[in-house]
Amino acid sequence: MRCLLSICLLVLVWTTFVYADDVNLSVAASLKEAINELSDKFTKTHPGVKFLKNYGASGALAKQVENGAPSDIFISANVEWVDYLKSRKLVDIASIGTLTYNALVFAGTSDKASSMRDLIKLEKIAIGSPKSVPAGEYATEAFKRAGLDKQLAKKLVMAKDVRECLMYAEKGEVDGAFVYKTDALQAKQAKIFFVVPQELYPRVTYPMVLTSTGVKNRDAVAFFAYLHSAEATSVLARYGFATR
Amino acid sequence: MLHLSPTDYDAIRLSLQVAFAATLLSLPFGFATAYLITFVTFRGKMLVEVLVNLPLTLPPVVVGYFLLLLLGKHGLLGSLLNDAGIRLIFTLKAAVIASAVVGFPLLVRSLRIGMEGIDPQLINASRTLGAPWYDALGTVILPLSLPGLIAGSSLMFARSLGEFGATIIVAGNIPGVTQTIPLAIYEYASSPSSETMALSLCLVAVVISMVVLFLHELMAKKMARRG
Repeated sequence: MRCLLSICLLVLVWTTFVYADDVNLSVAASLKEAINELSDKFTKTHPGVKFLKNYGASGALAKQVENGAPSDIFISANVEWVDYLKSRKLVDIASIGTLTYNALVFAGTSDKASSMRDLIKLEKIAIGSPKSVPAGEYATEAFKRAGLDKQLAKKLVMAKDVRECLMYAEKGEVDGAFVYKTDALQAKQAKIFFVVPQELYPRVTYPMVLTSTGVKNRDAVAFFAYLHSAEATSVLARYGFATR
Repeated sequence: MLHLSPTDYDAIRLSLQVAFAATLLSLPFGFATAYLITFVTFRGKMLVEVLVNLPLTLPPVVVGYFLLLLLGKHGLLGSLLNDAGIRLIFTLKAAVIASAVVGFPLLVRSLRIGMEGIDPQLINASRTLGAPWYDALGTVILPLSLPGLIAGSSLMFARSLGEFGATIIVAGNIPGVTQTIPLAIYEYASSPSSETMALSLCLVAVVISMVVLFLHELMAKKMARRG
């Protein structure tokens, strides 16, 4: 019995000590490559800092933070989920800032649509699940304002994040997918068919914030400041993000 | 206290539909496979057994991804079907196939146990009395493996109700079309604002699973008494 207990303890310690003193990032999936590069650059000038990066749908990340997942910096693809954590007093309100901006596009491999109107001719369209994926939320908002939401309802494949959306489009399993411009630029097969007119959806904004635990983590605060730097801005611009 | 939206009701209906279809579809194949493994000796039998049981231990996501590669538009089988005008990916058919593959080992296992329990002398007796193999199969083996058949199909039905990993990849997640209970719960669970909705649907899942498993136990008991 004592042996069993010590094994349990060992396993517990072994699985928890990993994230002592590291910088835990919870970042919207669309920022994956950009943040990977930025954190690599940061480690070069700050050796010893270890990043644990968690990419996913912003809503899902917000829920993880709410439920106590280790997270020092949260970057969302919309304002809603930062506000959500703000209202629950889980983030450092003073630190809230905007990292960058993006645009919504429709991308795919077979050229069948060149405007929102053409969407009704398609069979399957991938969007991020609007309940947790901001790209899906922006897309459904655009459908509503274009008056297409009813006609499209049964064509929509709900992906768990914006990257899964892109995967479906790349494989040609859907006629096209609503993703960010920056995702479409990463794609190998899929091409941008049209950019969603800006009047149909609120501007894609990436707010970033230090969480209540992150504010006490020196490395996290330093990296957070680095994200505001000119170098970070130029890296983001290279991936196609709009900085203003 | 139970908050169910119209798409939740759709999800419940779709789940039952998929589980029924997957189980019915698998029955003849499951029976043939179990018969082959139990009564026929042939080379490479071990390999067949391993292959049949593989989906049981393989992560469902792997099964789903293989199915996507196989049945997808550019897949080995999918491209042929696509030419014939049949599309499987992101339809309810794909959900049925995914559930059938993942639940198949459970069905075969129960059927085998049922068949192995049949007294071989009964089969031999029927054969020496002049029954051809198919007669022996239909009038001796089939009725005697009924308990295994029922146990297996109810287990498989229950497994199909909960199928998630393979389904989400090949059937997508289309509310009202392919969104089954687990997929709907997953969607709710990854969103901070729909906790109560997730819980309501979880409750429904628990109730349905319990009913199916109760029936399973009840049948098993009944069969054991008769046997």
